Amino acid sequence: MFLQELHVRTQIETETLTAWVEASWLIPAQEEFSEADVARAQLIRDLKEDLGVNDDGVEVILNLLDQIHGLRQSLSDLIEAVHGQPEAVQQQIAAVLRAAKAREEA
Amino acid sequence: MNENPYEVLGVKPAATAEEIQSAYRKLAKKLHPDLNPGNAQAEEKFKQIGAAYGLLSDPEKRAKFDRGEIDASGAERQQRPFYRDYAGGPQQPYTTDAGFADLAGEDDILAELFRRAGRSRASMPGGDIHYRLPVEFLEAVNGATKRIALPDGSSLDLKVPAGAREGQVLRLKGKGMPGIGGGPPGDALAEIEVRPHKFFTRDGDDIRMELPISLREAVLGGSVSVPTPSGPVSMTVPKGSNTGTVLRLKGKGVPRADGGKGDQYVTLKLILPRAADADLEAFVRGWSAGQAHNPRQGMEV
Repeated sequence: MFLQELHVRTQIETETLTAWVEASWLIPAQEEFSEADVARAQLIRDLKEDLGVNDDGVEVILNLLDQIHGLRQSLSDLIEAVHGQPEAVQQQIAAVLRAAKAREEA
Repeated sequence: MNENPYEVLGVKPAATAEEIQSAYRKLAKKLHPDLNPGNAQAEEKFKQIGAAYGLLSDPEKRAKFDRGEIDASGAERQQRPFYRDYAGGPQQPYTTDAGFADLAGEDDILAELFRRAGRSRASMPGGDIHYRLPVEFLEAVNGATKRIALPDGSSLDLKVPAGAREGQVLRLKGKGMPGIGGGPPGDALAEIEVRPHKFFTRDGDDIRMELPISLREAVLGGSVSVPTPSGPVSMTVPKGSNTGTVLRLKGKGVPRADGGKGDQYVTLKLILPRAADADLEAFVRGWSAGQAHNPRQGMEV
C-alpha cells in the first residue's frame, strides 16, 4: 500500500507519516508499506499521543524494541533447534541451563 | 467489558480529566502490548484500560455513564493490530541483531543464530566504529597526524588539529562499518585522549607550568629561558620575584579555532642549591634585616 492508504488505515496525517519515514521510524520498500508498517505507525502514535513520549524517546524505544524483537527471534530459533535434538541432548542442555540459572541466583 | 472504568484506571469517580489521563498513561506504559512483546495478558489488560479511558476521556460519554444512561460495555475499542504480531515476520526491515551480535563470535558454531542478513533492513547505513586515539600533550597542542589500525588490517591517517582537547571526537566520514544492502558506510569516530606532559598542564586555551629559578635570579632578577609548546623563549624575571609569582607569556598558549592563541602562565618556584654552601650560610647569619622578617605574620603563630 502507498502513503495515502496508510493514512486511511491509520488515520494519521500524511505529513506526519512522511516525517516518520524521513526519521527512518517507518521504512517502506520502494514506497510501499506493509501490514507491519500499519501496526508500527499505530504504535508510534500510541507512544506519542497516549503515552506522552517525545521524539527522542520514540527513537530510543523503537531502537530497543527492534533489538528485543531480534533477540526474541534468535531465541525462538534456538529453542526450535534444541527441540530438534534427541531427547538426551535436550535433557543435557536443560541441565546446563538450570546450573547457569542457579549460579546467577546465588 | 463490564467492569467499572474508574476502577479499571484506579481513579476516583470525581477525578479530573488530567488525573484520568495520567492514570491511563501510567498503566499504558506498563501494559502496552508492544512494550510487552511476550506477555499475552498485557493485551487483554491494555484493551480494558483503553476502553475505560475511551469512555472517561470523552466528557459526553463520561457524563452519560455517570448518569447511568450507558454502561461500560459500549466502550469496547475495535480490534486493532499490534506491531509485535508482525515484528517476527519475514522480510521485515526493522528487527536488528545490533544489540547482541557480540554474544557469538564470528567463528562460533552458533554465529548463524545471530546473523539475520537476509532479513535485516533493505538498505541501512553501516554502524560507526569508535576508537580511542592517544596523543602526546604537545601533539594535541601543536597538531599532528596519527595513524590508526583498522580492524580489516588497513590503516588510516588522522589529522589531529592544533589545540585538540581531551575527549574531542574526530569523525572520518565513510570509514566505519560497511553499509547494509547498498546503504552508505558508517563513520569512524576517534576520541582524543591527551597524555599528560612532564611540566605543562592545560587550562582551557592556556598553558600552565612551574618554572624553577635560582636564589640569584629571584633576588636580582634576570633573563631566563622558558620552554613553551612552540619552543623555548626568553623571559625577564623581575627583581625580587618570589615562589608563587605568576608571569604571563602572551600568545604562547594553545591555538584556538579563531586563529588566536591562549597564553602561557609561568609560576615561579625558588630553588636553593642542593648542596649546603658555607658562604650563603654566613651571609644569611649576618643579614640583620632577615632576622626581623616574619612571613607568617597574620597567621597568629
